[in-house]
Amino acid sequence: MNKKTGLIFFPAFDWAISPTHPEREERLLYTRDQIFEEGVMDLPQIHEYAPRLASLHDISRTHFCVPMVQSQVTEAHLIAAGSTLQLGDSIVNGEIRNGFAMVRPPGHHAMRVVHGNRGFCSINNEAVLVEYLRRRHGIKKIAIVDSDAHHGDGTQDIFYHDPDVLFISFHQDGRTIFPGTGFTHELGGPGAYAKTLNVPLPPGTGDEAFMYVVDNLVLPVVKDFQPEIIINSAGQDNHYTDPLGSMRFTARAYADFTKKLQPHLAVLEGGYAIETALPYINLAIILALADVDYSNVMEPDYWPGRFKESPERIAQVQRMVEQLLESWANKDKVDLPNVFGNDKYYQRKKFIYYDTDYIEEEQFEKVRMCPDCPGYIIIKSRGERGYRAPIRIYAVSIPFQACHACQSEAYDIYEQAKKQKECEYVYMQDKSTDTCMYYDKVKGQEWVTEG
Amino acid sequence: MYIGIDVGGTSTNAVLLNEGLVRASATVPSSEDIITSLLDALDRIMKGVPAELIERVVFSTTLITNLIAEKKYDPVGLILIPGPGLSHVHYKYNTDTFIISGAMDYRGREIIPLNDNEIEKAINNLNARGYKKVAVVGKFSVRNNKHEKTVASKLASLHPDWHVELGHQVAGQLNFPRRVVSTMLACATKDKYSFFVDSVQAALSRRGIEGAVYILKADGGTMPLNKVSGVPIETIFSGPAASTLGVQALIPPGETAVVVDIGGTTTDLALILSGQPLLSARGAPVYDNLTQVRALAVKSVAVGGDSLVERVGKEILVYSERLGPAFCLGGPMPTPTDALRVLGLTRLGSPKKATEAMEMLGQPLGMSPSEVAQKIINMVIDVIVQEIEAMFIQWEQEPAYRVWEVLQKRKERPDMVVGVGGGAAGFITQIAARIGANPVIPPYSPVANAIGAAVAIPTIQINLRADTEQGYYTIEQEGYQGKIEKDPFTEEDALLLADEWLKKRAEKYGLGNAVEKTEYTRRDVFTMVRNWITTGRIYDISVQTPRGIIGHIGARGGFK
Repeated sequence: MNKKTGLIFFPAFDWAISPTHPEREERLLYTRDQIFEEGVMDLPQIHEYAPRLASLHDISRTHFCVPMVQSQVTEAHLIAAGSTLQLGDSIVNGEIRNGFAMVRPPGHHAMRVVHGNRGFCSINNEAVLVEYLRRRHGIKKIAIVDSDAHHGDGTQDIFYHDPDVLFISFHQDGRTIFPGTGFTHELGGPGAYAKTLNVPLPPGTGDEAFMYVVDNLVLPVVKDFQPEIIINSAGQDNHYTDPLGSMRFTARAYADFTKKLQPHLAVLEGGYAIETALPYINLAIILALADVDYSNVMEPDYWPGRFKESPERIAQVQRMVEQLLESWANKDKVDLPNVFGNDKYYQRKKFIYYDTDYIEEEQFEKVRMCPDCPGYIIIKSRGERGYRAPIRIYAVSIPFQACHACQSEAYDIYEQAKKQKECEYVYMQDKSTDTCMYYDKVKGQEWVTEG
Repeated sequence: MYIGIDVGGTSTNAVLLNEGLVRASATVPSSEDIITSLLDALDRIMKGVPAELIERVVFSTTLITNLIAEKKYDPVGLILIPGPGLSHVHYKYNTDTFIISGAMDYRGREIIPLNDNEIEKAINNLNARGYKKVAVVGKFSVRNNKHEKTVASKLASLHPDWHVELGHQVAGQLNFPRRVVSTMLACATKDKYSFFVDSVQAALSRRGIEGAVYILKADGGTMPLNKVSGVPIETIFSGPAASTLGVQALIPPGETAVVVDIGGTTTDLALILSGQPLLSARGAPVYDNLTQVRALAVKSVAVGGDSLVERVGKEILVYSERLGPAFCLGGPMPTPTDALRVLGLTRLGSPKKATEAMEMLGQPLGMSPSEVAQKIINMVIDVIVQEIEAMFIQWEQEPAYRVWEVLQKRKERPDMVVGVGGGAAGFITQIAARIGANPVIPPYSPVANAIGAAVAIPTIQINLRADTEQGYYTIEQEGYQGKIEKDPFTEEDALLLADEWLKKRAEKYGLGNAVEKTEYTRRDVFTMVRNWITTGRIYDISVQTPRGIIGHIGARGGFK
């Protein structure tokens, strides 16, 4: 275990959503000051990597960007995603033991379809990494643990039907914070039942309940799932000083969590207490990953015992954990047709609000209920931009584990959709052959990218 | 006319440049008494040249670097104020270290006050252990130097004769551990450095030279000799910088080249990318510790002409140690120089002895002397080529913190491999062939370091960090903290203020004319929003005079 911890620090000092937006140049400034002054990058346990760009195809493999990748991503997005891929490569090829992509902009609210920016996210860095690891390195089973105060709804959306991705998100109760989702009953689609687990925590939750969830739910479930790679969506807005969240986690607890989970890769997500939390949490996470003593890292206004957890809250969290453990334990015994129906397709309707770009999306998602594979996914989506004409798309996604029947059926559907009138853009995302296609009906033109 | 002099541990090189041409050069052995060897070198290059014609003399030296390497300096005690963060067990510096309470945060706000008792106790302890030199360094002292100054005034009141060095005055960039090392070395070498400066001045005045006198810094820039007593540490790694600048002057402008300086026990590598020597992203390293000294990227590889070669079982090994000169020059063991001699790639030493050395190694293995020789040379070249490749990769892998920095990353490979130093001749062709570049051994390559010193121009830079919410700014190089008088204080104001400080600093060092052309190498603006209101801005601005050399040697390459 003498391998190093890889770091990519990409604070994007020349990129902001807008000058006064929480996602602005200043966000990682104090983190930089803290980790540079500590000399962390010089520690023998640490190796700092240069950021790199993800390719447009890396993005297409994961997202349906409307109308195309170039219209949704800036160079900063490609660098944030690319840096994550760089660390993924370095972990798989054995150069480093684990890594931390301290990058901006974040990504965990970006869903499979991207009409615009929601929750400060356009591109889902973790999801882009997962599809890349599969394609490039043949890795199958991956666990993502989301420790952001906001529900990782984008990541959940992308892997909702994927039995090989375990997604666990603990966060502030969605009834009190964006994006308003992430309840215990959201457990995954018919082909991936209970591979999604949500722990909505009451506002005000502190370290004690946090550690309870980690010790009693997250660690045992991840262990049971036996992933090849563990990714932490390391949002830091559960901190007691965060202006957007109402939780009471400390930097120390984030480090303890990191030490216990031992993620291969932590990817920075939210966290907007840029002075009072980020410098301390980021430093503590780096030290925890590198197995360096972090007990001397603390917020200036913190003292042990500052926050006391109420017994009611603990009890409430305990009940929730019990319920989720039961769902996990019984995932293979559940009568799925009873829950999801017995049709050729499982279908659901979604309304998605893009808070950053004021877009309302109406989505209709169909999953082929296939006995041999997770089944292809069809999406009809309509993005309403208020002042502009709505954009309608039709998209087909073939999972990397797809069977031949599903693959050929999906291509037929794609070809048919190109002839129909209702959508402006038609997409095909074939993860089994790593081919992405996109058809612009107005221009009558098709683009193909291959990995 | 310009003079460049490189004062090394074993020899002193000097050149006299006249209108871009090397008019004279000399290599003399360095003596214990610097003045003697300086006078010797000066006399050799100045034959028939009146002292009044010398406009400028630039020195580079490895003397202080060697003192540090050999640990020949007075002990320095440390008083550190690290506060919370990394565990204090990391702060071990092979000397008595006293850690006292107190802490600043990243914006220079005091979060833990000093404790007077602890300060006094630390000073008493240092006194009891006989220290007379103390370095005081606080975490984030770059943002607020109050704690360091308080400790310093306590030291001054108790022990006015002690030599005290403060972290914020030695190096202004963030990195506490590197600042500790830099401050400690600055404290340790100040006397020796003053001695060097005095010797240089004595030698020059004895020969009546009244031109401007400069010393080369590790980053390849120069500073007036009499002004740098403040921060000699910036000059201590100037030796390798001198060779690199020398090569820069000896090859055409705009080339990408690897500089290979093969010495007896080490080979120094440096890169010139599109005509500009590469600066190290990290500070210059001293043994295992990094300092905060801005330096050219130089990689020292532990093989050279005198490296010990031995047969162990069926293998031939090249070690990094040196036991003496090559066998063909009367040394005890075979070396790569012997191998070169056998292959006819050098004319040093006795060919008979060299063949004998190769036979000693090859006979038990059934190899002919030339086979053994080729094998040894290949092994040495392997090591050097690998390191060259690694340097380029490391340069490409350097972190970037801005979108434009990532987008402008480029990949470059050398057009030429330039050999300097004694051992270069035999190796350069083969190294160049291996990496697909042209081998070049420029004229005057044995005195490239002195040429580098002669052509070096002053560089001067200022980093300004202004925090309008707190209403103060700092100038990293000066350790200065001042109030922002203007309100509102715009980016334009920040740029002007940085310019003003650059001029001020230039005048302080007698470099007033150096700041005609300046360039901003960084201009970051951070809008601060607190509770949904814009409360201020942080400006991070770097302004400097362009790096470069006076001109290229030959054909009046740019010399005036």
